[in-house]
Amino acid sequence: MDFLAQHQLYIVMIIVLAIWLGLYLYLFRLDRRLKKLEERSQK
Amino acid sequence: MAIKILLGVLLTGVVIAGFGFPMSAAPQTWYELPVIPGLEDKARIIFFHVPTAWLSVVAFITSMLYAIQYLRKREAIDDIKSSAAAGLGFMFCILATLTGAVWAKFNWGSYWNWDPRETSIFVLLLIYGAYFSLRSAVEVEEKRATLASVYSIIAAVTSPFFIFIMPRIMTGLHPGAKGDPEGAGPVIEFKMSPNMRVIFFTSLIAFTLLFYWMFTLRVRAARLEAHHHSGG
Repeated sequence: MDFLAQHQLYIVMIIVLAIWLGLYLYLFRLDRRLKKLEERSQK
Repeated sequence: MAIKILLGVLLTGVVIAGFGFPMSAAPQTWYELPVIPGLEDKARIIFFHVPTAWLSVVAFITSMLYAIQYLRKREAIDDIKSSAAAGLGFMFCILATLTGAVWAKFNWGSYWNWDPRETSIFVLLLIYGAYFSLRSAVEVEEKRATLASVYSIIAAVTSPFFIFIMPRIMTGLHPGAKGDPEGAGPVIEFKMSPNMRVIFFTSLIAFTLLFYWMFTLRVRAARLEAHHHSGG
């Protein structure tokens, strides 16, 4: 914690990483949901 | 699948390297970034600001290519692809404007300075804004697709002038403007060190992959929608 308090840029990095990974997972789930819909509409 | 994992690895790496690599006045190791006087930590913005602008170029060209394809083959899917690409391009254009405005506030003193590049992205936003009003104004699908395709081609043909030519022949605040010998900006000298270049170009690749993925998702959703409406 002391390290982060002294190097504040790493806090920014962690926040941006969290946002990016969240968006990334969201896109993954959206992709999978679309795939299911496509399979359903083909039947 | 491989593309998605590659995108995840690359962009995560760009975020870690872009923010995490320390800056040093005299870099000794491969991961130390040089301090650029006047920019300091703000130089890190380049890893994210330029790729958004780059993506809007990629997207607008993609839109033009599918527009040409539509005019040649008259298949609805090409119009769907053309408009999906234009939509993403518009979004990334807005992101480039916003990230640029925040950066401009702290380096040039104001959110908006009417620098040639700022003026040209404003014109670009107007051009593509009109593309969407054109689309929403025409009800008949085939007519809309034809008009939008022609417009998209004309828009993409004019955009290199705003993106690549005008900002370079006029004096301005961005690096690369007239009177700027070798990438050194009129306001702040901006030269990327080799390790910054690696992060920068990795970021460009990663953002391009992100665009490709978002583009295919949007096209697939639009295709399902069209399928649903046609009652198939």
